[in-house]
Amino acid sequence: MKMLEGIGISHSFGGLRAVDNADFHVEQGEIVGLIGPNGAGKTTLFNIVSGALKPTSGTIKFKGEDITGMKPHQICHRGMARTFQVTKLFTNMSAFENVRLALLFGNPERKIGRKEAEKEINQLFAVMGMLSDRHKPVKDMSLAMQKRLEIVRALATNPRLLLLDEVMSGLTPKELNQSMHLITQLRKRGITIFMIEHVMHAIMGVCDRIIVFHYGSKIAEGTPAEVVKDPTVNAIYLGK
Amino acid sequence: MLISTIFNKRKFTLSMILLSIALLAVVPRFLPPYVIISLITVLMYIILTLSWTMFSGSTNYISLATAALFGVGVYTSAVLSGSFPLIVIVVISGVLSFILALLVGSLTLRLKGVYFILFTFGVTALIRNVIQWWETHITLTVGRHVSSPGNDTVYTYMVIIYALTLIFIFLLQNSSYGMALQGIGENEDAAEHIGIDVTRLKVVTFALSAIFMGAAGAVMATRWRYIDPTIAFNPLLSFLPVLMAIFGGTSMLGGPILGAVIFTLLQEYLITEYPYLYMLLMGLTLVIVILYLPGGLLVLVMRLYIRLMIQWAKTRFQWQMLKTRWREEWRPKVSMELAQRRLRLQWRLGRKRR
Repeated sequence: MKMLEGIGISHSFGGLRAVDNADFHVEQGEIVGLIGPNGAGKTTLFNIVSGALKPTSGTIKFKGEDITGMKPHQICHRGMARTFQVTKLFTNMSAFENVRLALLFGNPERKIGRKEAEKEINQLFAVMGMLSDRHKPVKDMSLAMQKRLEIVRALATNPRLLLLDEVMSGLTPKELNQSMHLITQLRKRGITIFMIEHVMHAIMGVCDRIIVFHYGSKIAEGTPAEVVKDPTVNAIYLGK
Repeated sequence: MLISTIFNKRKFTLSMILLSIALLAVVPRFLPPYVIISLITVLMYIILTLSWTMFSGSTNYISLATAALFGVGVYTSAVLSGSFPLIVIVVISGVLSFILALLVGSLTLRLKGVYFILFTFGVTALIRNVIQWWETHITLTVGRHVSSPGNDTVYTYMVIIYALTLIFIFLLQNSSYGMALQGIGENEDAAEHIGIDVTRLKVVTFALSAIFMGAAGAVMATRWRYIDPTIAFNPLLSFLPVLMAIFGGTSMLGGPILGAVIFTLLQEYLITEYPYLYMLLMGLTLVIVILYLPGGLLVLVMRLYIRLMIQWAKTRFQWQMLKTRWREEWRPKVSMELAQRRLRLQWRLGRKRR
C-alpha cells in the first residue's frame, strides 16, 4: 500500500521553481531517503507534504486520501509528523512540556489523563535515551539533544509516517550509530520513514530506497546500491 | 529559573487571586468616595490589561484593538441606557464585543508581526469614525448621556468583572490551551505541526478576551455619564494596556495587575503634582523600566521578595542559634543563680522566724 504519494508536484517562489513536476511515493513500512545537492528543493518538498506550503500544482495523497491544501494540524491528526532542519522547539518550556503539548494536541480523538500522559511521555524519552534530561529547559540543551527532542515530540503525535529533515547532521560517530539503530527500531514499531539526509554513510546503511533530487525534480531512484552506480548521480555529486 | 520554581505554584497564585478579590470587596466600606472613584479607574485598567495579556501576553500578537472592543461596550451601554437593567446591558456589551473580536480576529489573525498590529489599530480608527459619522449624519447627536446607578454599584460591578477576568485567565493559563497559546508565541510553525489548530485557538481566545473589555466598557459608561465617540474609542486605551503589561511584566499573572495599579497611580500623582512635566516624566519612567527591568516591575518585586526571604531565613537561623545558646549556656547559669538566691533567701527567712 502506498503510504504517501505525490503526483506532479510543483512549487514556485516567485520566478524560482523550487520543486518542478515531481512524482514520488513511499510504501508502507519503508525507509525512504531523499538526497540531493543544496538547494535541490528537498526541504520545500517536505514543507509541501506536511502542509506548511501549498503546492502551485499537483496532488499529494496520504494513505490514499487527498491531503493537498490541508492545514498542518489536519495532516498531523491523520498520522504524519515531522522534524525541522533548523530545530523549531518551544525554547522557554522544558523538554517534557514540549512533548506533553504534542501528546495532548496530536491525538484529538483520545482523552488522555495526567498520569497516563506522563507515563507515555516518559516511555518516549526512554526510547530516545534522554529520560534524565526531560525536565531541562530546551534553552540549555545541545543541538544534538534538541534534534532528538524534536523526534520525541514528533513521535508523541502517534504518527504512521515520520518525516525526518536532516536529523543526523552534526552528530558524533557514536551518536550517529545510535540514531541509525533508532530509525530501524522505529520501523519495527510500524512507522514508515521518509528522511532527508546528507550523511551518506547513514543513509546508505538505513534506507530501503533512495530518491535523488536535483533542481527541483527527481533524477534517480532505487536501492542504495543502484543509486551509487547511477551515472547522473555521480555526475552531480562528483562532477564529470 | 529560581523565580519560576518558587512562584509558579498554582495554590500560591490562586490564594493571591482570592485574597485580592476579598480585599476589594470588603475594604471600600471604610474608604471615602474619592478613593472609590480612583479604584474604579484602577480596576478598569487592570481589567483591560489582564484581558489584553490573556491573548497577546502568551501569543506575542500585539493587539491594539483594545480601544475598539472596550468602546463597543461603552457605546452599547450608552445606546441601551435606561431601557434595560444594567446587568443585561453589561451582558449584551460583552456579547457584542465578542462578536466584533471574532470578526476582526478571523480577518486579521492570519497576519503576523507588524501587519497585525497595524490592522488592529486601523480597525479601532475605522469603528470610531464610522460611529462618529453615523451620529452626526443619521441620529444627529454628538454625545450621549448615560444614567448612572451610583458609584457604589459601579464599583461592585467592576470588582465582579475583575474577579471573573482573573479567574478566567487563571484557568486558561493552567489548561492545556494556555500552554498551546504559549507554544504559538514561541514557535507557531511547530505548534501547527504537532496538531494545534492555531487559527481557531487564536481567534477564540482573542474573542473571549474581548468579552471582559466590552463588559468593563459598559460599566465605565455609567461611571462617566456622558460619552461621545472620542471618549469611547480613545486610542490611548489601546496603548495603555500594552504599556502597563510591559511595565509590570507578562511572565506571571501578578505582573499586569501590578503594572496597571502602579501606572495608574503614577499617572494620577504626576498629573496633579507636575501637570506640565507629566508626559515627560511618564516617558522617562517607561524608558528606565524597559532599559533596566526587561522582565517588568514584577521581576524587581520578586528579587526583593527573594532577598527578603533569604534575610528571613538568616534571621530565623540566628534566632535558633540564640535559643540553643540560651538553653545550653545561659539557662544553666541563670537557673543555678536563681536556685542559689532562692535557697539563700529561704535560709535567711528561716533564721528570722526562729
